Amino acid sequence: MQEVKLVVNYDDYEEGIRMETLLQDLAAKPEAATLESLIIRDWGQAYENSPQEFKDTLIQLAPSFPALKQLFIGDMESEECEVSWIVQTNLAPILQAFPNLTSFVIKGSSGLELEPLQHSKLEELVIICGGLPKKVLHSIASAELPELRKLELYLGVEDYGFDGSIEDVLPLLEKGRFPKLEYLGLKDSEIQDEIAKATADASILEQIQILDFSEGTLSDEGAEALLASEQIKQLKHLNLSYHFMTDEMMERFKQSGMSVDVSDQQESDEDDWRFPMLTE
Amino acid sequence: MMLHEKDLLLISNPDNRRTAGIQEARRQMGMKPATVLSYENLLRTWRRGGGLAELVEFISPSPLIRLDAPGEDWEVERGLLHLGATDYDVSDSKVLSDQVPSFKELKACVETDLPSSLQKLKRESFSAEATLTLEQQWGRIYAPAQWFRGWKVCLDRIAQEAREVWPGVQFWNDPDEIGMMFDKRECQLHLMRQGISVPPILPSSEPIQCWEQLRAAMDASRMHRVFIKLACGSAASGVVAYQVNPRTGVEIAVTTVGMETSQGQTLFYNEGKLQKYTHPEEIRTLLDWLCAEGAQIERWMPKAMLDQRVYDIRQLVMAGQAGHAVMRLSRTPITNLHLRNERMLPAEAGLPDPHMSMIQRVARDTMLAFPNSWSAGIDVMLTSGMEPRAYVLDVNPFGDLLYRVRHQELTPYEWEMKLLRKEPVRHA
Repeated sequence: MQEVKLVVNYDDYEEGIRMETLLQDLAAKPEAATLESLIIRDWGQAYENSPQEFKDTLIQLAPSFPALKQLFIGDMESEECEVSWIVQTNLAPILQAFPNLTSFVIKGSSGLELEPLQHSKLEELVIICGGLPKKVLHSIASAELPELRKLELYLGVEDYGFDGSIEDVLPLLEKGRFPKLEYLGLKDSEIQDEIAKATADASILEQIQILDFSEGTLSDEGAEALLASEQIKQLKHLNLSYHFMTDEMMERFKQSGMSVDVSDQQESDEDDWRFPMLTE
Repeated sequence: MMLHEKDLLLISNPDNRRTAGIQEARRQMGMKPATVLSYENLLRTWRRGGGLAELVEFISPSPLIRLDAPGEDWEVERGLLHLGATDYDVSDSKVLSDQVPSFKELKACVETDLPSSLQKLKRESFSAEATLTLEQQWGRIYAPAQWFRGWKVCLDRIAQEAREVWPGVQFWNDPDEIGMMFDKRECQLHLMRQGISVPPILPSSEPIQCWEQLRAAMDASRMHRVFIKLACGSAASGVVAYQVNPRTGVEIAVTTVGMETSQGQTLFYNEGKLQKYTHPEEIRTLLDWLCAEGAQIERWMPKAMLDQRVYDIRQLVMAGQAGHAVMRLSRTPITNLHLRNERMLPAEAGLPDPHMSMIQRVARDTMLAFPNSWSAGIDVMLTSGMEPRAYVLDVNPFGDLLYRVRHQELTPYEWEMKLLRKEPVRHA
């Protein structure tokens, strides 16, 4: 697969190089016509500047990338910008500009909006962040994504932008909202136990094959509910990697005969706090 | 024909790996062992009014002197703090007990009488007398500015006495230049003037001595991410990666410095693992201390990455040649930790040749800025992005203690000895 990564590093940005220009240069190359994957990394001091700087350009240039299937906006490491500091914007118009896109990955949630979220071919939506605003959860819950097969959301913590509660997550546990959904990741959450309990008897399990509750604060409380669910046992795979379960609970999962990942056991800190993985 | 080999006088802490490594390399290369003089002995001799001359009986009238790292020896630490005490008269080896109150017990005080301070300068200080009875608290960072003052006095005095005793003496690395390499502020400025790329220094109209001045300078130049490095710290000691979110004001400081406050006094430690401070009061305490003790403050340039780890490179330069190189990789902003970070050889990591050439070139150029020094370990980073650039982060005059790396099939010390034979030190 043809893939291009674009980055504006610190020096570049200081010298006036902009993501906009890199996109224009790329669009002018012959390889643009066959490009399948575009990864936009740091667009330059992303803790201050949002993709608004290059959004219109990317939308205008969309016809130059007719083969584009995958788009990643914000693929950067904490060395460049802390994940919770990455400034995003309403990215839905970009998605709409690429009608053939099947995979859309976003990193960073500060200022992120996805409104309106409609796409007839999108199969995969991933949002990696320190805390997902409930506004975005609502946009996803009311989205029209008939082909969506994989939904992976880092819910994060309040300090980094998760301003919702279990109530804002519940709509995603209803069957049929995305008829083709097979992979549901509601992960990296500080309310992982509540999510696990709510999911254990949710109708979404009738269509899901892979459930991803990894990187969060799952403890025995949520794990107990999962183990008690007959529908959870029918899953093709359950990802619980990075968790706060006891050894006994891990053993029970191993004995359950399920395909389950219980690796990366964590210990609560001295004040008995549990933190999701991606909290910087 | 055998070239005449100069006698080597090694001033070091004799029980450490450095001294052992050098002696072993000399044995391997069929050279006479170096004469070893311990810093501990030298400092003690000075304290009782003696000097270098009485400690070393040399056959050669013009030895080669190598100064090695003074660290990892508590007696030497105390001795250097003693030399750096403000109430100690170096020329006289006497404590000026009339001028400054002396502290009978182990006790730190706060110097407030330094110039240009509207704000209190919270610099730790021990009296000359107190230093000699200091009990070691493991990991604690003692009065860095005082230590550094003592170290510079030590360097100066060695240079002066050696030149008196042996007019033809040569130094492996010139003591003055060692002092400059050690002072990150002076060193980076010097390199910048010599046209070497170093991370931009945080501009400020006056010396930054506290957190408030630091923040004002960061805001004024819109430099939101900086490294603050203890001016005389070695390795990761006293290094803080500090960033302020310009939109929200949120602060994060990542460092190996640990803090412990009791009875209103905060002690600072080297921690084995990385600390992350996010509370403004903690950050203020940390940075007030660091800035008061003297810090190099520079832009945090995002480093190039390999498998989601940032890296930089320690490149050894000896006799103008680039030798051993080691990559230090980290999942944190701080790469030069001794304990937890991974090390790799550039070839193992698949670092492209043009990148390696760029690193070697900048390391050799850096060494040219120190014409009277023969070897150093230069820490070089590459920027992230498509076309990385090289920046010099640090120059370590004792940077040749590297394990498990060979160049021309030789360890760093063996290679040094080989070069020493082939291209003896020429500068005075």
